[in-house]
Amino acid sequence: MVEYKNTKKILSDDEVRELVMARLSVLSKDTMISLGSEGSFTRDELIKSVENGDNIGEKLAEIQLEWLRSFKERVAV
Amino acid sequence: MKMIVTRPQYDITTKYLSVWAGEVINFAKEKGIEVFDLIKEKANKNDFTGRIKKLKPDVIFLNGHGNDDCVTSHDEEKLVEAGDNHDILRGAITYALSCNSRKILGPKVAENNEATYIGYKDKFIFVADSNYSTRPQDDPRAKPFMEASNQVMISLLKGNKAGEASEKSKNKFKEHFMKLSSSQADPDSLQAAQCLWWNMRNQVCLGDLDAELK
Repeated sequence: MVEYKNTKKILSDDEVRELVMARLSVLSKDTMISLGSEGSFTRDELIKSVENGDNIGEKLAEIQLEWLRSFKERVAV
Repeated sequence: MKMIVTRPQYDITTKYLSVWAGEVINFAKEKGIEVFDLIKEKANKNDFTGRIKKLKPDVIFLNGHGNDDCVTSHDEEKLVEAGDNHDILRGAITYALSCNSRKILGPKVAENNEATYIGYKDKFIFVADSNYSTRPQDDPRAKPFMEASNQVMISLLKGNKAGEASEKSKNKFKEHFMKLSSSQADPDSLQAAQCLWWNMRNQVCLGDLDAELK
């Protein structure tokens, strides 16, 4: 389960998942993401992980949410 | 001044970290620092422990996979582990380019007043281009990540305090993040920006923040 810092949940897990998959689907096919000891993954492998909701998919959702939160903080950047 | 570097190299991630750590090694050598490079099979617990006890290095640069309580070696053996041999990092500034080790190992090391530990509280993530997997040093997608990470070591070797070195590295992550987040950015750049932000948020400096290399 993705952890949310806000008490009011604005996006459901499914919505976050769709958002992450939409972002991943437009990546170049030769893009890889290294997630430490979990391994390095291609775009298609990452999409599959998000679809399956496994650890990799959950981590990508977490990264996406952290980035969305950054917009609030970027005022101070 | 003495520096020990561990560079396991057995999968894509460790290969990238190892190759890019080469830039830090070259910089250190140019500065006249004695570098002990434990690369591939040499990055094992016995050699690492022996070298540290013998040399008492001023700075230690750990590259490789990690977990909450450890950083691993070439064959995934635990190189340094909280509650086992974390004390060997005493008296040095350590930068662990590794996942999660700030959670348990970092605080355990930093309990000692004579130790500084810079690491990550979650996964260290980077984006790469599969066309460059045999020559990671030329990979333009990995470059912003590795440059920002290496900034910790470069700043330390330039004489900055540990806390400042970590801040400079975070600023480098931020600088690349801002560049890649621009409105004209392509989808790959936006994905990279997310991951840069993630790493910046997760890098932490513990222990003696005023420690410096003299």
